[in-house]
Amino acid sequence: MVRLGLERTIGLVFALAVVAAIVWASNAPTIIHGSNHGLLRLAWSARPERVEVCREQSAEDLAKLPAHMRQPLVCEGTSARYRLTVRHEGRLIADRILHGGGVRQDRRLYVFHELTLDPGQTTIDLRLDRIDDPGVLVKPGAKQPVVIETVPPNLAFAGPVTIGPREVLLITYSPERRALIALDQASAR
Amino acid sequence: MSAASRPAERLDVRLLRWADWICDRLYSQEFNPLYQSGTIVVVLYLVLLVTGLWLLLFYRVGSPWESVARVTADPWIGNWVRGLHRYASDAAVIATAMHAFRMFAQGRSWGPRALAWVTGCLLLLLTFVCGWTGYVMVWDTFGLLLAQQGARMLDTLPVLSEPTSRAFTGEQPLPMAFFFLNLFAHIGIPLAIGAVFWLHLHRLARPRLLPPRRLTWAVIGVLALAAVTSPLVMAPKANPLRLPQHVPTDLFFAFWIPIVDWIGGGKAFVAAGALGVVLLALPWLTTKRDAHASASTVDEQLCVGCNQCALDCPYGAIAMVERARGGDTLVARVDPSLCVSCGICAGSCPPMGVGPPGKTGRDQMTRVRRFVTEPARRAGEIVVICCNQGAGTFADAYGEAGAAPFPIDCAGNLHTSVIELLLRSGAGGVLVLTCPPRDCWHREGPKWLVERVYHGREAELQARVNLARVRVESINSGDRARAIELVHTLARDVATLDRPPVEDGLDEDGECASAGVEVGQW
Repeated sequence: MVRLGLERTIGLVFALAVVAAIVWASNAPTIIHGSNHGLLRLAWSARPERVEVCREQSAEDLAKLPAHMRQPLVCEGTSARYRLTVRHEGRLIADRILHGGGVRQDRRLYVFHELTLDPGQTTIDLRLDRIDDPGVLVKPGAKQPVVIETVPPNLAFAGPVTIGPREVLLITYSPERRALIALDQASAR
Repeated sequence: MSAASRPAERLDVRLLRWADWICDRLYSQEFNPLYQSGTIVVVLYLVLLVTGLWLLLFYRVGSPWESVARVTADPWIGNWVRGLHRYASDAAVIATAMHAFRMFAQGRSWGPRALAWVTGCLLLLLTFVCGWTGYVMVWDTFGLLLAQQGARMLDTLPVLSEPTSRAFTGEQPLPMAFFFLNLFAHIGIPLAIGAVFWLHLHRLARPRLLPPRRLTWAVIGVLALAAVTSPLVMAPKANPLRLPQHVPTDLFFAFWIPIVDWIGGGKAFVAAGALGVVLLALPWLTTKRDAHASASTVDEQLCVGCNQCALDCPYGAIAMVERARGGDTLVARVDPSLCVSCGICAGSCPPMGVGPPGKTGRDQMTRVRRFVTEPARRAGEIVVICCNQGAGTFADAYGEAGAAPFPIDCAGNLHTSVIELLLRSGAGGVLVLTCPPRDCWHREGPKWLVERVYHGREAELQARVNLARVRVESINSGDRARAIELVHTLARDVATLDRPPVEDGLDEDGECASAGVEVGQW
């Protein structure tokens, strides 16, 4: 009987220990950002300009098509590519070619890039330049198309910025200002 | 479907036996939580459901963190209920993992049981996703971390037109729609869990959903105690423009975050997918192709249509149908896609007309006849009928204790005529050692055997058998010492009884006729 009581007591202690372990693992203080570094986050989306290549179809080509598909001018296109360069204190830290999203690369352009930086004041020089020419946007003689707001061919952000310890400086594109802007905790508030 | 047919199980089974033995000692067979891992998950789901409904009353999608903070700040009920909700979800992950491990190790995860394994894996995945949405709902630093890392993995899917990671960059506040959708998912996933759970149990007859009442309340009580003694502390509100140094992390639901950090979202996503596929295929990967035993068959000439095998089958694999050639009675028909070849039907059939090949009552009787004529047999010795999955694992020890082992595949498979024939052939006593009732590899073996031996369930042990010479005990497969002790106890007890005469030349035909079998069919 004494042995049974001892075993049940050990069982109770063991059960409580297991629950204590669950409680600890449920609230484990995990170090996510151990250092005091700041983070430069580049994040925005914008519609890229469209690049189109148009060709006139010959009378022979048109004759091969059903009547309702005969168009003298056929245009095929995709989105323009852009080059993103980031310099930190004059040193190139990112150089990427960006293109439209989606499988056909004809969707909006997305930028999401994070760079770890030491806290304090620093100089960031960021440029986004279109690589491809937009080509023919309006067909000769056609109605003026609806103008879709696209990202400007060249964007730049340059200047000293201050990043606090474990703070994020977000550089994003403002469609209202058609420019790159910096946001931090204080300005976001 | 023995463990030996699955090499990968050998280590698992040994580990399981050891853990079961420890917990049997600490909590007794009836309350051993390892045997009840599946039903404990159900209890925890119910706790999550009740506490979740209560928390839902106070949650606001327009101000998620603030509303949860208000609940957490209430020391009397709010914090306690939220803590119970959280710890129950953590315990559910552990109990599910334990249950899956047991089912795999015991080979209860493939063949006709594959549906249960696959749906079990799906339940585990749904539990993780539901936990993810639950933590994101709070929208504290941990919620943001889960959202960001989850988005990193999700963004590798080529079907998304816009990377989800951008939602958590701080460009603009998260819209209320996000929290509404998240809440919708957190409520909808449990409904899906309910549906998958139904599928999980679909192939079981009489599924047992809850553990014994005392264990149920013990589980709830100990978690409630944890919620009271370790009140939850609200983490700071999520701020995408701030890098928190410490985040209170729930490792049960966020164990994958360091992996995403280490190898990147894309690789982590692929690794998670690969792990999921391996987990799903694990029973097949570790099982020999020819290991699946044949399904039960029915001898229609012997079947008297009593329906007992259909009642006893733990998997609902037997149905009573009209006889092809007509007749007054129905006949049993086994569905091979549901039959796991446990042989419990063989033990339930008085005329011994059903069972898997090699395990029918007739096969057992043939074995006994060979057994009793072995030269090593001694009149008056104790015969230990032991389940191969349990007490049969140390069958050699019975010889050392002066008893003769008679291993069988499952105690529920045992036909009571075997016990009678052993006694009438000169055995002093028969000790049947079953697995613990809640740990039967075939679910209901010990339960039906006890019913047949002591309570007159069909295919019962005949009244002419002296029950003082028969003992049915359940024992853990690691408890060798107790098994030997039981042998000695029975030997001592039968020594005080008058020794019955050994019946040479048993009139088995006559015995069978009394059981409804035509003479001459032996």
